[in-house]
Parts: sequence; structure tokens; C-alpha cells
Amino acid sequence: MPELRLAELNRVYMIGRLTKDPEVRQTTNGTPVANFTIALNRRYKNASGEWKDETTFVGVVVWQKLAELCKQYLTKGRAVLVEGKLQSHSWETEDGQKRSVLEVRADRVEFLDREGSRATGERGSGHAAAEGHAAAAEGQAAIDAQEAAASPAPGDQQMDDDLPF
Amino acid sequence: MSELRIPTLNRVLLSGRLTRDPELKYTAGGIAVCNFSLAVNRKYKDQGGQWRDEATFINVVTWHKAAETVNKFLRKGSPVIIEGRLESRSWETDAGQKRTAIEVRADQVRFLEKSESAPDATAPDEPAA
Repeated sequence: MPELRLAELNRVYMIGRLTKDPEVRQTTNGTPVANFTIALNRRYKNASGEWKDETTFVGVVVWQKLAELCKQYLTKGRAVLVEGKLQSHSWETEDGQKRSVLEVRADRVEFLDREGSRATGERGSGHAAAEGHAAAAEGQAAIDAQEAAASPAPGDQQMDDDLPF
Repeated sequence: MSELRIPTLNRVLLSGRLTRDPELKYTAGGIAVCNFSLAVNRKYKDQGGQWRDEATFINVVTWHKAAETVNKFLRKGSPVIIEGRLESRSWETDAGQKRTAIEVRADQVRFLEKSESAPDATAPDEPAA
């Protein structure tokens, strides 16, 4: 029997809420890219049987059309389902130190807020929610088609995280 | 229609090879914890149509019995498939700065090497001590 090769597998699924509005910018060649952080909550029982909450913050990067949809429809506090893969994001600090942090490159972002549950002061009409949902699906198709041509993430994001190695 | 509450969903699936031997430690309470780093490869075609390899390095932590099993059977270069969730880890640098990184807390580690007679490592989903 021939030898097996290692299957490529790098998949992340998560549901959480945005900790602030997405930051959207364009690369030098005009490709839109959005960054946001989502808070993932987990409830568990500790050793003495009490319920505890644990929150994990995960950075998400979104490219192309989907980035524009995120800018249009997402704000702080919104709930999303994110599907994508883990990638490392490296950059150099001003004093020349190399930094690297893990983030999720999303190829699918589902907007989970229903029209009735929107916080006040945000986009008023409930219609936008449904529209956003449909548009997100369309955005996903666009991303799939363009993924092969997508340029790697540029490293100019401001983050103060560091890895201990 | 009843309102939905936000569900807990935090799931990661990865395949890769260990970049170094795993490190096993025990907490003050005697719980085993094993850290290792995984190189996750991706092949892609660049804009010129050339195949390229891209590696992402991901820190993984396992607890309890699985930690010991991983430490016993895996070495640098061992191929594995892991399943788990993303977790943040915070620490202070020597200069007193706060840092946070995400890593994967694995609850399943599947050993892929044929020669291994080892069982797969499964960690019970308990909170970190």
C-alpha cells in the first residue's frame, strides 16, 4: 500500500460578540480588509461545583467583499458565527522586535442578530438585518472565488500582544 | 417564537507536526499539563501559479491523562490531528508588560504515525486548575 500523506486540516468554528466596531482599511492595491475581535464565552463548573464564566478573545481578519459587508453590518456587541482557519500574524514593533499573534482568517461570517434584538442607536430598520444575512452569503461566494488570488495579510496592524518564544 | 441565547461554539480542528518535543509539567495540585507546538502546513498556488508551502505555528496545551500520553508517545516531527478549542493565556513579561496569546486547548489528540502502538490521547473537558 502506498504511504499516506498528512491531510491538511485547519478549521475553526466559533460564535461570539464583537468587542468593538470592525476596523476596515484597504491594502495598497485596494483590497478591503476588516479586523475585529470577538469574545467567546464558556460556562463551566469548577472543582467545587460552582458555575464560572470564562471569556476568550480572538482576533478575526476578513478580506474582500466580506470585509465590506462586515463594515456595513457589524458593530460592537453584534453576535456572529465565524468559520475560517488559524494563521499567524507577524509584525515588527517600532524598536525592531518581532511579534507574532494567532488570529482567525474568516471565509464565512454569519450575522446572528435578529431585527428585534438590535440595540438602540444602531441601524434602525430591521430590514437591514435580513439583507445583511443574504449579503453575507453572497460575500462568502465572492471570497471563495477570489481566495486563490488573495494577497497575504500585510503586517501593519497595531497589537500589543506577544508570544513567549 | 422564543428568543435564542448565544450558543457556546469554539471548535478547532488541526493537523500538523510537532516542532519540538512536548513539555510535561505538573501543577501544584498534581495535575499533568503538556505543552507542544504544532506546525500546520498549507499548500497554495501563488499569483504566478507556483505551488508554495506556508506553515503556521500553533501552541497546543493538553491536560490530565492526555498530557501524559502525549508526552510519552510524541516527539518532535510526530504527525497528529487535534481537536479542541481556542483559549487565551496571559502572562507578564520581565519588564512587567501584560501579554496575551491564544493557544489551542486540545481535548483529542490523534496519533498518526503507523509505528505507534499508542492509544489516542483524550483529555476530559475540565477547567484548568
